[in-house]
Amino acid sequence: MSPRSGRALATAALAVLLVACGGPGATTGSPASTPSSSAPSPGRSAKSVSAVGRSTPVRLRIPAIGVDTPVMKLGLAADGSVQVPPVTAHDRAGWYEHSPTPGRTGPSVILGHVTVGAYGDGVFRRLGELHRGEKIVTRLENGTAAVFAVTDVRTVAKADFPSDEVYGNVNRPELRLITCGGRRTGDGYLDNVIVFAALTSASP
Amino acid sequence: MRRTGLSAMALACTAVLAGALPAFADGASATPSPVPSVTQAPSSVPSAEPTSTTAPSAVPSAAPTRVPSSGQVSVVPSGAPNTGVAPTTSDSSNAGPLIGGGAAAAVVLGGGAVFLVRRRQANGA
Repeated sequence: MSPRSGRALATAALAVLLVACGGPGATTGSPASTPSSSAPSPGRSAKSVSAVGRSTPVRLRIPAIGVDTPVMKLGLAADGSVQVPPVTAHDRAGWYEHSPTPGRTGPSVILGHVTVGAYGDGVFRRLGELHRGEKIVTRLENGTAAVFAVTDVRTVAKADFPSDEVYGNVNRPELRLITCGGRRTGDGYLDNVIVFAALTSASP
Repeated sequence: MRRTGLSAMALACTAVLAGALPAFADGASATPSPVPSVTQAPSSVPSAEPTSTTAPSAVPSAAPTRVPSSGQVSVVPSGAPNTGVAPTTSDSSNAGPLIGGGAAAAVVLGGGAVFLVRRRQANGA
């Protein structure tokens, strides 16, 4: 074999190698990049939806007013109003089951009595004494806890109950604690005391 | 001539191979097609996880259909919650009449006693 033919063969082999390496490399590069860019995005968005997993609340603790109570589930009464916990000696708070669980995006609603008739003070007797920034801890069934800070405390007439502000959509995890208050009328009360709170942290 | 023939053959081979490579490229892209299918598989895995997260949300509730939308309040109750039964003042209200009744009885008894004493004194005199 002469040197010229050797060069020609070497050139040909080099050309083949270049074409073989260049083409497929470009094609495989693009599909590899697309799934990698698309795959993580749903994962991140799913994580950013809420800080706490969905789990029903089982206990409520408000250190500032000495509340430490089990939490029961509440639904709707026959007349379309929200159910309230039973009037008993050691009454407890109740979570409205058609609201988000504490720590999920939206207003989670927990109710309790201010007084329970002949049994005296209810679990939320001192709810109106809460101040902005004070801590509310909800312990969930899955063992985690969602911690909220009071953002507002309002006493409103029952006749003008602010359903939109209490039950309306919000873009972060929030909490509503509701009881009665104000002047008495017969065996009830004229007003509601509503505590608004926002999620500050979640602990395992 | 041999040299030129050999070099011509080499060029011809190169041309043939280069022409065949696009076919390989297609073939190679056909073999990567399993790769995208693999990439589809992971993408389906995360999508399966959200479905698994939505599945539990459907499990626990008596109202599963309402919850899934955005996780906010699904049914807004009507009216204001009645979260307070006023303490019955029956204890104090019962005590009040009792005290009043007792006082009245004491006055009546006292008056009667005074009346009897005076009557005896009048009879004795």
